Amino acid sequence: MSIDKKPMTNKPLQGVRIADFTVHAAGPFCTHLLALLGAECIKVESTNRMDVFRKPHPVYGRMEAASFAQVAANKLSIQINMKHPRGAELARRVIAISDIMCESFRPGVMDRLGIGYEALKAIKRDIVMVSVSACGQTGPDRNYRGYAPLFGATGGLGTLTGFEDGPPVEMRHVMDHGTGLTAAAAALAAYFRKKRTGQGQHVDISAREVAMSFIGDALLQFAATGHSHGRQGNDIPGMAPHNVYPCEGKDMWISIAVAEDSEWAGLTRAMGREQWLSDKRYASAAGRWDNRRELDKEISEWTRTSTREDLTKLLQKHGVAAFASYHAKDIVEDAHMRSRGAVKQLTSPEGETRMAVGVPWRFSRTPGSIDTWTPKLGEHNRYVFGELLGMAESEILELIEDRAIY
Amino acid sequence: MPAASNDTPLNGIVVVEHCRSVAGSYAGRMLALMGATVIKIEAPGAGDPLRRMPPFIDGVKRSALFDYINVNKSSVTLDVKTKTGLALLNELLKKADVFLDDTRPSDRKALGITPEEVAGDNAPLLFASVLPFGAHGQHCDYLAYELNTLHSGGEGYLMPNGLALELFPDRPPVKIYGQFAQFVGGTSAVCAIISGLLIQDVVGGQFIDISVQDANVALSCFNIQRLGEGVLENRHARSFQYGGVLECSDGYVGLLTLEQHQWEGLVQLMGEPEWTKEEWLKDPLNRGRRGAEINKQIRAWAKSQRVEDLVIKGQALSVPLAKYVGPDAIMAAEQTKARDVFADVDIPGVGTVSMLTAPFQFTTPEKLDAYPAEPGANNATVLCELLGHSRSELDRWAAERVV
Repeated sequence: MSIDKKPMTNKPLQGVRIADFTVHAAGPFCTHLLALLGAECIKVESTNRMDVFRKPHPVYGRMEAASFAQVAANKLSIQINMKHPRGAELARRVIAISDIMCESFRPGVMDRLGIGYEALKAIKRDIVMVSVSACGQTGPDRNYRGYAPLFGATGGLGTLTGFEDGPPVEMRHVMDHGTGLTAAAAALAAYFRKKRTGQGQHVDISAREVAMSFIGDALLQFAATGHSHGRQGNDIPGMAPHNVYPCEGKDMWISIAVAEDSEWAGLTRAMGREQWLSDKRYASAAGRWDNRRELDKEISEWTRTSTREDLTKLLQKHGVAAFASYHAKDIVEDAHMRSRGAVKQLTSPEGETRMAVGVPWRFSRTPGSIDTWTPKLGEHNRYVFGELLGMAESEILELIEDRAIY
Repeated sequence: MPAASNDTPLNGIVVVEHCRSVAGSYAGRMLALMGATVIKIEAPGAGDPLRRMPPFIDGVKRSALFDYINVNKSSVTLDVKTKTGLALLNELLKKADVFLDDTRPSDRKALGITPEEVAGDNAPLLFASVLPFGAHGQHCDYLAYELNTLHSGGEGYLMPNGLALELFPDRPPVKIYGQFAQFVGGTSAVCAIISGLLIQDVVGGQFIDISVQDANVALSCFNIQRLGEGVLENRHARSFQYGGVLECSDGYVGLLTLEQHQWEGLVQLMGEPEWTKEEWLKDPLNRGRRGAEINKQIRAWAKSQRVEDLVIKGQALSVPLAKYVGPDAIMAAEQTKARDVFADVDIPGVGTVSMLTAPFQFTTPEKLDAYPAEPGANNATVLCELLGHSRSELDRWAAERVV
């Protein structure tokens, strides 16, 4: 292992090309991560099948189109109208020069379009095809429609999330992106296998199963015992205190979690309540758990007059796991995050600047990076159809005219 | 890269996992299911503290969490604070492709397993560091459990939304079930590790700094994007303008109509009541602005409906609707059975039970073939057969409590 040498210019996926037919959130997050790692990602859309990030999103409260979409950074954009008779042929040509093909159509649609796995294998024997769907490519529910909150429901994660005496909770984009993250891990594994054995394959990612994987412990508990805990709010059985406490300021919070007796002792020192160490309500972990609501009240009284930052520093100094509840502004202004490059300022081609999430890993020799802004729809038509596929300008113009490139 | 002798993606890759965190162990689980040989190092005696973390498989007090995230691994007990223990760890690392470690940076120094020390003569080794806040930066030595990392990443602050928030507007934010942020950190580590393996033949080994916070911030990136659009998200403003969790007569459904035809399907599903005929409802932007009025109506309607009816009729009308289900319904679902995503495992003292295999399906199926054994169950196999030590050495180390 070498850590002292300067980073090299290689990125882990340098030279890997992806034909990206994904839209919405889950699939594009998968290819976003692969693009951060250096893959050349060709995002395929059309005027009649534009990704939602280019449009307003009123249900989410976004009344205008997004001006920058994180997950489109580093990607190339081309247009193929899959409804045009020549659409499938153009898609096949792009896939033929790619190593990985990602898609998030409803199961069966790719086959109907003539670009299902079997058809692709015929033109590119070792293609790694990654399908991201709501319920997977097989089974009676394969055609089920879904968005993040819905597979959060059918996969149980949203059902088990929430207050003990309240309803289930919608999972938001983290559910989509958790699916994309899982798909990226699987795509990398499948590509690694291809590199070693020369064999491609079809990777099947079901968002519902990703949600299920997040409650794998509850599923195992249920299988073994016939029951599982329902919604538990912020509790983790046996851990107390374990909650989110109010701090100075409007809607400001700190998370505090205590598992071991040594951490409990640290908390009592930080609070100046060492007498609790001999208080029979709190002296043992079992006692703290039984009296957790009372304990929560006492801690809330203590936290509410201090800032999140001061409390975090103090508690960490005493060996207690505590951290401010960060909102987006906290994250982009956080010196630690900035020093890691985990958030960074980007500049658009027009000179507009904004903060974005950077690469979530630091490789000592092959760092990833965000290099380019969200591409305009079709910005790279000439590069992909002309330069990569060798089509003459006249042919490209003809396809544009005919709305095959549309 | 080592040759593959079977068809799993990571066949032949050896991972030494020295982790106590859920994130690190979950990364090891995924790598093991992808075919890697994962050797878990635990403290002698009681082993990994996660063995004592809830939820439990009652009766035998086995941790369902530990067992779920430690399948398909070997367990070796080593006290790396001793000279012999550290030497044995280094011997193991010479046989390994990946060192997966979640020791805090200050403790790495104390133990003698800093990246520089491990690099030594392990040229091709990938050192994958998985820590709540990463290995660099002012928070790198901070302690954090799941609740803390979830809140460090931005999503903790934003939960819950919708109905749960409206019912309890003054309560603190509520966490996502279980170990969500940790599993995300672990999956992120898997991405980084395989990326390192992919370029290992070009650049050799390297140090990869994986932060659970960074992974969760990446997952929550739309909130950063919204900030760039001038909107600081909070729990109240982020709620869906209409739809979301609806209470029915016998349970809950989720409803999300993002597209015009889905809204029209919903109107049909409700039987086209008078209020849906108002002019302003035709414009999706107006519906977004006046979502509260819509919610009042659809919540009142949903209360008299049965979940199953709604889901079946809704799907037929292309309305995105889903039932909130728990483990019982998930395990009984036809889709679950058809997809073959659970495998039978034998739990000592409990019997044969089903465990979820993996959230990905390869052409070459992943298999659950080793249930977590007792700490140190594989000491002899690993230390004697793999490293070539004698049984008498092993017995001596056991007496000295090194293993």
